[in-house]
Amino acid sequence: MGEGPLLRPVLPENTEFVILSFEGPDPYSNAGGLGVRVTELSRALADAGFRTHLFFIGDPEKPPIEAGGGRLILRRWGQWISRYYPNGVYQGEKQKLYDFHSSVPGVIADEVVAPARREGRTVVIMGEEWHTASTMCAISDLLHARGQRDQAILLWNANHTMGFENIDFGRLNFTTTITTVSHYMKHTMWLWGINPIVLPNGIPDRLLSAPPAEEVQAIRDVVAGDPMLVKVGRWDPDKRWNMAVHAVAGLKRMGLRPRFVCRGGIEPYEGEVLQTARSLGLSIYDVPKPETQDLAGWCAALADTRDADIINLKFFVPEHLLRLLYAGADAVLANSGKEPFGIVGLEVMASGGIAVTGATGEEYARAFENAIVLETDNANEIVTSLAYLREHPEEAARIRAQARVTAAEYTWARVVELLCKRIQLLSTSQNLSR
Amino acid sequence: MAEHLVTYTVVHQPRRIKLPAQPIPHGATPEDIARCLFDERMNERYLHKVAEYCYYPATRMFLEMVQEQDFRLAIGFSLSFLRQAQMWDPDLLALMKKLVAHENVELVCVEPYHSFLFYMDIGLFIERMKKTREELYALFAKRPVVTDTTEMFISNDIYFALDQAGFHAAVLDGREWVMNWRETTHLYNYAGKSLRLLPRHYKLSDDVGYRFSNKGWEGWPLQAGDYAHWIREAMGEFVFLAWDYETFGEHHSRDTGIFEFMRCLPGELKFRGVQPLTPSQALERFADRVYELPLPQFPSTWAGSGGSEFFLGNSVQQAIFQLMHHSYNKARLTGNPELIDLALWLMQSDNLHLIQWFGRFGTEAEVSAYFTPQEWWSLGPAGIANDMQQVYRNFIVALDAYM
Repeated sequence: MGEGPLLRPVLPENTEFVILSFEGPDPYSNAGGLGVRVTELSRALADAGFRTHLFFIGDPEKPPIEAGGGRLILRRWGQWISRYYPNGVYQGEKQKLYDFHSSVPGVIADEVVAPARREGRTVVIMGEEWHTASTMCAISDLLHARGQRDQAILLWNANHTMGFENIDFGRLNFTTTITTVSHYMKHTMWLWGINPIVLPNGIPDRLLSAPPAEEVQAIRDVVAGDPMLVKVGRWDPDKRWNMAVHAVAGLKRMGLRPRFVCRGGIEPYEGEVLQTARSLGLSIYDVPKPETQDLAGWCAALADTRDADIINLKFFVPEHLLRLLYAGADAVLANSGKEPFGIVGLEVMASGGIAVTGATGEEYARAFENAIVLETDNANEIVTSLAYLREHPEEAARIRAQARVTAAEYTWARVVELLCKRIQLLSTSQNLSR
Repeated sequence: MAEHLVTYTVVHQPRRIKLPAQPIPHGATPEDIARCLFDERMNERYLHKVAEYCYYPATRMFLEMVQEQDFRLAIGFSLSFLRQAQMWDPDLLALMKKLVAHENVELVCVEPYHSFLFYMDIGLFIERMKKTREELYALFAKRPVVTDTTEMFISNDIYFALDQAGFHAAVLDGREWVMNWRETTHLYNYAGKSLRLLPRHYKLSDDVGYRFSNKGWEGWPLQAGDYAHWIREAMGEFVFLAWDYETFGEHHSRDTGIFEFMRCLPGELKFRGVQPLTPSQALERFADRVYELPLPQFPSTWAGSGGSEFFLGNSVQQAIFQLMHHSYNKARLTGNPELIDLALWLMQSDNLHLIQWFGRFGTEAEVSAYFTPQEWWSLGPAGIANDMQQVYRNFIVALDAYM
């Protein structure tokens, strides 16, 4: 037996992280789930003690480097281009992509890897989504040319399949270790000849605390649905909005008085969904921005919905209201047809809500144990499931309780623990010194 | 038999475009457009490389030759080179200033950006040649009276343009198709104009410029004594030799013996009774023996086989040449001087020179490929051809915001 540990421990003293992503924590950079993911993941890594550099397409009006004395260092990239594109991270995508690819590798090699190497630390570089795939290959090539590749661990993560047609998977798979967020994605990526390692998404710890019961009840009372349903997501066919609308109509046909609170995006598919609702005899009320963003303001806005079947929120819904809606609803329809991970379902469960998920990437969801899992795209499956829960309230309560237990297993802190274990595996494969 | 020798060398580094072509943000400032068009990091890298192997040792060599061996030298600088030296190697520029300052060295004017402006706007070409003459004076305290163009291009119209610009003489390559039965070893003019022409002895020039390190050449290894003998044996009054400055240490590396060869040359010339002259000294000495040279309407050049086909002979070159026109026209329409300046940079002949190899093979293609930046080859030949054009297309579209 040799001296010392069998495996090289992954500790803040010997490891630092770099995350590359188009999206990031700035409102300018936060277009969807990716922005939330890298914001929370980088924060969790820093909270765990690791120096963490986050390179992202940042707000052009903010400082290019923001360390704030902490372990998380924000590197806002391409700001000279973003000044020409004020409408967010993906405007001027082609221009930003070129700049990112051509300038990030040299900076990482010079300003992160080289000093870390001098101090005896390994650098774990994690690229997110297709935008960073070629950059990761370029970083690997550059480090290899400098004789430093063996001291860096390169991961590239797919959160979904969008943009896969732009990726040279042969090269990417050779130069990096590919990861993804669920086994559904893993199996999907087999079609590309890739066998990624699964590292799940997570939720921040703060979401695990139950929202105030009296506020939840206030929202339930003002919506007054029987049942009260909620759905949040882009207006996109993949989100199965029409299935949800058909389910509302089905519940109504059963003689119930469902009320469906929904919040979509700015996508034009909204028109098609609402037209379907009208054709099913459902009434719609668009709720404008409340006078105040607090419980009183929200209740006032929701009270003025003229008994509509569909309550269409046309304003930014803050996290606190979202959690009240999740907890207060009889079911939250996170019923997407294709979901790489399904962060909304997990957030619902963390709030003590009943998530109705699809059966793709939501591997945390188990049917009638901690959620409702839909096996088909038939709206009747939602209708009968909700009718069953209405007749078995004790089972609904049990599902809510179990949901919170499950969600606690998926915090970012837990994800970081798992990530470190995977890095140990990769360190061993790369023969990194202990 | 030639009893005199005029030696000219020209220093140039291109402002290389950025490949793969960088998309330009809509509404970008001229400064940001330039950032997308040109690969300044690569340009700096190449300047330092060539400086180490060529510019420093060659300049020290020529300094010794003019200071200690009474050699005479004419030297031209593109502004493209001078700006790079100013930005990235001021010590080099200082050394070159020292060389130019010597009384045995004559400063020659060249087209400032090494561009094909004379094809697109002959009036502006005249203005810029005049302006460059003054810029060179400001930098070197010598006002050039003899001029080169770009790649020694000359034709009927370019000749008149240089005459209107007020130069005393211009250089041209002494190809057979231009000279016909005439020798290159005399002074010429055209149509009774005062602008004299110094024809380059291209065979003797290319013995050093191209063939010096070619072990398959029957003249290899070339000795300074033999070369001085060939010069002395040439019929006529003087031999005019002209080379890229990069011949010394870059095209022919130090280990070929090129520096030793040059250092021996003045002694061997003197031994054979060949007297070195600057171009202006040759103009003065042979002022009473000036002959008529009918100039061609199509231009001649010292590149390739001496005609414009080296630059415009393949479909990619022709496409880029068209795009040079469109870029310039579009910039003119904006009326923005900074954008017009960028269009002038995009007219650099190098952008045609370094794609001459496309669809071709042989020695000329090898020369062209030698000048293509090594970093570009990962794109593949078709990728280079496509992305070079894309640089121009991006520029033209970027100017929409200024219309």
